[in-house]
Amino acid sequence: MTALALQLELLTTHYNYYAVMLLLGIGLYTLVESPNLLKKVIGMNIFQTGIFLFFVTLAYRTGGNPPIVTDGGGPYVSPLPHVLILTAIVVGVSLTAVALALIVRIYSEYGTLDEERLEELYYD
Amino acid sequence: MSLSLIEGSLLVFVIVCAIGTALLKNTLAAVIAFAAYSLGISIIWLVLQAPDVGLTEAAVGAGIMTILFLIALANTVNRDTDRLFESIRWRTVAFVAAFVLVIGATVPSLPAIGDPTAPVVGGEVTQYYLSNAYKETQVKNAVTAVLAAYRGFDTLGEAVVVFSAGVVALSVLRREVFT
Repeated sequence: MTALALQLELLTTHYNYYAVMLLLGIGLYTLVESPNLLKKVIGMNIFQTGIFLFFVTLAYRTGGNPPIVTDGGGPYVSPLPHVLILTAIVVGVSLTAVALALIVRIYSEYGTLDEERLEELYYD
Repeated sequence: MSLSLIEGSLLVFVIVCAIGTALLKNTLAAVIAFAAYSLGISIIWLVLQAPDVGLTEAAVGAGIMTILFLIALANTVNRDTDRLFESIRWRTVAFVAAFVLVIGATVPSLPAIGDPTAPVVGGEVTQYYLSNAYKETQVKNAVTAVLAAYRGFDTLGEAVVVFSAGVVALSVLRREVFT
């Protein structure tokens, strides 16, 4: 099998992992490139959801039901990654809230959210 | 499992929304695109049989997070922009592409999606929770059982994080109450 055919076959069985890669890339790009501090926080959130998608995909099994255990139900998807991601979502919101509070404070002190402008103002 | 039509279109939708969020110059537009992104991803959780995560993401990710961004935006500035999209900086794209390729190199060693013998799904821990959760905690939803009983200290730590975030936000804003 050629390398290209192998890649195509991987795409049909591992598509979510490729979506994870793209989301991590887009999040990182926004985090690094956007001059606006608020958009950097959005980029961080996209990066986070990429990782969530990785975990929830690992928990999935074909034909699985949600892990609500009843007699004769099943097979079930794994509950543990779901729990970890629930915790991570809430922690992510707390992180965003603190970051946004810092941004509001930075704006009230310096009057701008532009990264380069802030640097100039800081060193003046 | 092979890619179903609904999941394929959802994945395309979230990736388009994410690219839109990254490139829209106007901050309010980016926040709205991010809300659409969160909603799309919460439906993906439902498709992946994770209703608890889907509900939390819809309420917290698409709901509370958007409100937080809008409050922050109302307290700062949203400049009128001359152009709809930001220009793409290729140097950063090259850096991100290198990162993505390194991550992508690990994909072939991961188990196929939905493989019942994969370590996470077929592993001992998952099987223990699924067969003992109801007997030991009297909760039918295994996610709740693990969250509140088996990993209760983890959830306590989460509550501590939320509390500290509230305290930090108040002290950073130099206020005594949220109004």
